[in-house]
Amino acid sequence: MSVARRLASTAVSAVVVLAIAGLSRLPWTDADRDGALVRLSWRLAGVAIEECRTLSPEELDALPAHMRRPEVCTGSTAAYALTVDVDGRRLLGDTVRGAGARRDRPLYVLYDVPVAPGAHDVRVGFEAILPPGVEPEDRPLSFGWADRVELESGQIALITLDDAGTRLLRAVGAAGGQGGLPGAGLR
Amino acid sequence: MSVAVRRLQDVGRAGLARCDRAANALYGWRYNPLYHSGALAVGCFIVLSVTGLYLLLFYRIGSPYESVAGITGQTWTGRWIRSLHRYVSDLAIVAVLIHAVRMAVQNRAWGPRSLAWISGIVLLGAFLVCGWTGYVMVWDVQAQLLAAEGARLFDLLPLFSEPIGRTFVGERAIPSAFFFLNLFAHIAIPVGILLILWIHVSRLARTYLMPPKRLFWGMVAAFTAASVVWPVGMDPEAELLRLPEAYSLDVFYNAWVPLSRDLPPALSWSFVAALLALALAVPWLTRAPASGATASYVNPRFCTGCEQCYHDCPYEAISMVRRDDGRDGFVGLVDPAKCVSCGICAGSCAPMGVGPPGRTGRDQLVGAREFLARATPSPDDIVVLGCENAAAGRVAEDMPGVHVLPVSCAGSLHTSVIELLIRAGVGGVVVATCPPRDCWNREGVSWLEERVYNEREAELKDRVDRRRLRIVYAAQAERDQLRAELDRFRAQVRALGRALGERGFDVGTACDPPPVSVAEEVGS
Repeated sequence: MSVARRLASTAVSAVVVLAIAGLSRLPWTDADRDGALVRLSWRLAGVAIEECRTLSPEELDALPAHMRRPEVCTGSTAAYALTVDVDGRRLLGDTVRGAGARRDRPLYVLYDVPVAPGAHDVRVGFEAILPPGVEPEDRPLSFGWADRVELESGQIALITLDDAGTRLLRAVGAAGGQGGLPGAGLR
Repeated sequence: MSVAVRRLQDVGRAGLARCDRAANALYGWRYNPLYHSGALAVGCFIVLSVTGLYLLLFYRIGSPYESVAGITGQTWTGRWIRSLHRYVSDLAIVAVLIHAVRMAVQNRAWGPRSLAWISGIVLLGAFLVCGWTGYVMVWDVQAQLLAAEGARLFDLLPLFSEPIGRTFVGERAIPSAFFFLNLFAHIAIPVGILLILWIHVSRLARTYLMPPKRLFWGMVAAFTAASVVWPVGMDPEAELLRLPEAYSLDVFYNAWVPLSRDLPPALSWSFVAALLALALAVPWLTRAPASGATASYVNPRFCTGCEQCYHDCPYEAISMVRRDDGRDGFVGLVDPAKCVSCGICAGSCAPMGVGPPGRTGRDQLVGAREFLARATPSPDDIVVLGCENAAAGRVAEDMPGVHVLPVSCAGSLHTSVIELLIRAGVGGVVVATCPPRDCWNREGVSWLEERVYNEREAELKDRVDRRRLRIVYAAQAERDQLRAELDRFRAQVRALGRALGERGFDVGTACDPPPVSVAEEVGS
């Protein structure tokens, strides 16, 4: 191999290696870096709704003997209406249903609502939608949270349920470490 | 194969040929990294395993970011080892993609090779997922993005009872179990990669897994130097209650994240599904027409049971079975499900009893005789036996005194054809092949050289004047190099004087038995 070819191959190799190293750590800035978020995240067992009906003799006869029960019930979890108003403007309105194919699992709420940095009046509403005839259980059917929120660029205001599942709160804390909230608290 | 796909392959092949020519000029064909892309990926895997073991010693699932920062703070070891781990993982993706493009445009992904293609797609996917877990391990802002976006996408699939996206909302500390599972996956996936690699090469004989030592160590040295001079730093730690703003993005593994973030998960999955479907359809899109590329066939009447085709087949498509025609011994049997119709067996059979239909040694001799009658080369002329995949086919038309007789692969060329041409009185014969590592049928060039110079069956007989024969490596775009070689060879041939043709000669078709036969192996 001639000296010129050796030099050329070394130079090309160096360029390729540096290109790979450079593309491995490409400086990237997100376009929405100036934004902030109101994040809603909670889990709620919800209001269980059970619909039962009595089987007719014909229906019972059609079933195997060991499966004959006079009454069959199907359960589901009541849907909830979720609303988020920021500075009096509705930014989110949705119906949250129970998880699972039969909608009989708990409700999981996970929404990000983008807002501009600065101070905002935020109002969150979460209310059970009960079908007519369903008796309300001994548990809260309606949740609400309203406060003035001051958000820096890139900051996330996390709204969640307290541990007892009775009221909405804003989680605050120095989110660091492995993403947890050392010294995190609820307000 | 549709016209559009064929055209796309032509364009890709032309581009690849130009890259090959440039790389051959720089590194020589022996060390051309483009020819060794698959083996380079395996080499990267080995480097990743070694460097990964070192990093594992210092990684702590209870404090992922701090432990990686600690590794990065080790000026003499950890810093460059971590950087090497990262850079080489990127090279692995580049190598795998080059390898895949090479196979696709060279039409080497259909039929019996489909298994290698599909397992290759799985390998690429495994590499990408392993890279994903590796980046999450660091738990910096890039990891936060990957975790959150990955969770968002997976929450669309009915896999988990609770949305995993809630893990990363900042509501509570991320449990160590998450980092343990992530670490477990990062170690377990490479074990799976080994298994898939075994499937990937399972239909190849004499698998070539490692690049040449010089290339491998050159690659390690170059990336180690880059790791020392330009080590990877630390991005800010993940903060789940802050949006990641500026971070360093690994384009090879994580370029999809900024693209996917603004799309609904269903649309992102649709892109993934479309890309995957397209990749998996390559064997079907590039398949040969039903009339072409038929499997080899052993004519039991000619087969002496010498086993040479069995040994030479690069795809283990030939087995030796007991004869059922009343003769003793074994006979070759081709498995059409494994045969890629490369024709290398045709060049291995002295009695010319095996090969794809129309391309056996006997067929080649018929073609060579017709060629002599048609082209009537003079005793000063050169006949180029040109591999269709190499440069030869496009060279001879504008060179006076040069005639081209194309062959499907230099490895399928029967040496009797060379003998016929030289003894018939042509000035010289040039076999123009691809460089050995670029042989589309893996071992064609190696076997050709063995047959011509080292008496491998079916060997070129001693009676043939080898001064009138030259094997020239010329990749598809290396026409100038081939022309220069032809000019040099013609001058040498002229110095030998005019070739004297023979009449009424016969090319031998005897076959020597191998040192250890299948019969002896079975007997023992």
